Amino acid sequence: MSDAPAIAFEAVSRWFGDTVALADVSFTADGGVIGLLGHNGAGKSTTLKLCAGFSTPSSGTVRIFGTNPRRTPDVYRRIGIVPDHSPPWPFLTARRVVELSAELHHVEDHRGAAAAALETVGLEDAADRPVGGFSHGMRQRVKLAQALAHGPDLLLLDEPLNGLDPTQRSHVIELLTRLGREGRTVIVSSHVLHEVERMAPRVLVLVNGHLVAEGATDAIRRLISERPRRVLVEPDRDGRALARELLALADVDAVRLQNGTIEIETSDPAALSHELPQAAKRTGTLLRGIRPVGDDLESVYAYLHDRARGQAR
Amino acid sequence: MIDAVYALTLRSLLLQKRTIVLVVVALTPVLMALAYALARSPGDHDHSFYSDLVQQLFVPTVAALVALVFGVSAFGDEREDGTILYLVATPQARLRLVVAKVAAAWTASLLLLVPSLILSGALSLRHGLTAGLVGWPLVGVVLASLAYCAASVLLSLYTRRPIVIGVLYIVLWEGSIATFAASAAKLSISAYGRAFVGKVLPQAAAPVSGTLVAGIVLVAVAAATAWIAARALGRVELP
Repeated sequence: MSDAPAIAFEAVSRWFGDTVALADVSFTADGGVIGLLGHNGAGKSTTLKLCAGFSTPSSGTVRIFGTNPRRTPDVYRRIGIVPDHSPPWPFLTARRVVELSAELHHVEDHRGAAAAALETVGLEDAADRPVGGFSHGMRQRVKLAQALAHGPDLLLLDEPLNGLDPTQRSHVIELLTRLGREGRTVIVSSHVLHEVERMAPRVLVLVNGHLVAEGATDAIRRLISERPRRVLVEPDRDGRALARELLALADVDAVRLQNGTIEIETSDPAALSHELPQAAKRTGTLLRGIRPVGDDLESVYAYLHDRARGQAR
Repeated sequence: MIDAVYALTLRSLLLQKRTIVLVVVALTPVLMALAYALARSPGDHDHSFYSDLVQQLFVPTVAALVALVFGVSAFGDEREDGTILYLVATPQARLRLVVAKVAAAWTASLLLLVPSLILSGALSLRHGLTAGLVGWPLVGVVLASLAYCAASVLLSLYTRRPIVIGVLYIVLWEGSIATFAASAAKLSISAYGRAFVGKVLPQAAAPVSGTLVAGIVLVAVAAATAWIAARALGRVELP
């Protein structure tokens, strides 16, 4: 077994015509569960495809266990993949699909390996039914079973929790966490941070093809929660007096008056939640509405993107 | 292991909806031979009809189309539905995967073409039917369809519209340019397939080569395209 890391990306870019799917991404992964976070179109699937050898970088190098899987198919003995697509051959039973996968990966006891993998994903009862009649969640588990059957050192999972019910999600998260603890490298793509942080101690955040944050999941979570927030306030009258009052507060970074509303930018939303009612009381203003702005996931990713490019305040 | 890929591909090919259309295509020469048999008059030349049927319809159109569609579907459909990923992400040699695909497409083609040719011969020639009169054209169809299947598998890896390009090759190149220019016929799979027909039946045009050379060329085309397809499998962008 080589000492090379499971995954090594060096200045990898991938573009399709004028569209940049991945821009100058470098990282290594070797052991443990790693979350690949990003909105739709961020470059997660492209990253996984490059890891899996389904695509070639436009520039830079991708090494999987020190080799290029496109040229060295033997490395697939050590890789298990859960693609975004449905399981193959829907007319086959789940058992046969998983057996076949194990067989194609040169597993001697492919029947035993398939039975164990199906049991691991909790599909033993439905194993002898054709995959074509399965629900989305069951298909996800077939894909997971075929990826696990040959005992890979590296697992590449494209949104593996999609379509699973809460119990199945917990089960899969537990399974992946265990595999990570065993020293296997598990890459899990997702666009939901709280899902990833339940299993991945480390995350890579991609935004528009750029690797904008990388590190311990806790640190990324902190970074996200400490980012400047914007709050939109609707006063019952002209809001200039309230705006002046708010600008004097230490936790308020900026105030904008627009169309009768006040947009407040703060680095401490908790403190603002205490101070805003008092400021309103002091100026005799009634607040008709308060709502956060840009608190959705896209905005979080945009913030990380700007921050990585040195534009965020 | 690889036989499993072959068997699954064959099953997928035979179960696909477009196989029904291919059965109809493969039955066309049989229906024409049946019509000829029913309307035959004493002065008709059975050999001449059968020769035209095989050389102008069976080899260049029916065999070519059936092999093209099966060849393209062997990998092409799997590219569409993502099944190809589950095959490529295995330590199997790429050439073995391609050979399994070509073999499956070829088998599927022969399952339709061989009975069709034999029935067409039996209906056209009736009592004049001999093993040679069916055997030599059959060799031509078998080898030509192998070359078509391998070339179609390759085409399906390089383009998103392999059937359109394949049909353009069959119609424009083989059906038009290669029939007028003798040198162009040297780049026509069907011309080499027809070389076997010329062994036992009168030919409209001079054969492009002898049967030995034709056989070698067709097998070489199949081997070369399969080899290139195996290399392409490690290079093309997968879904």
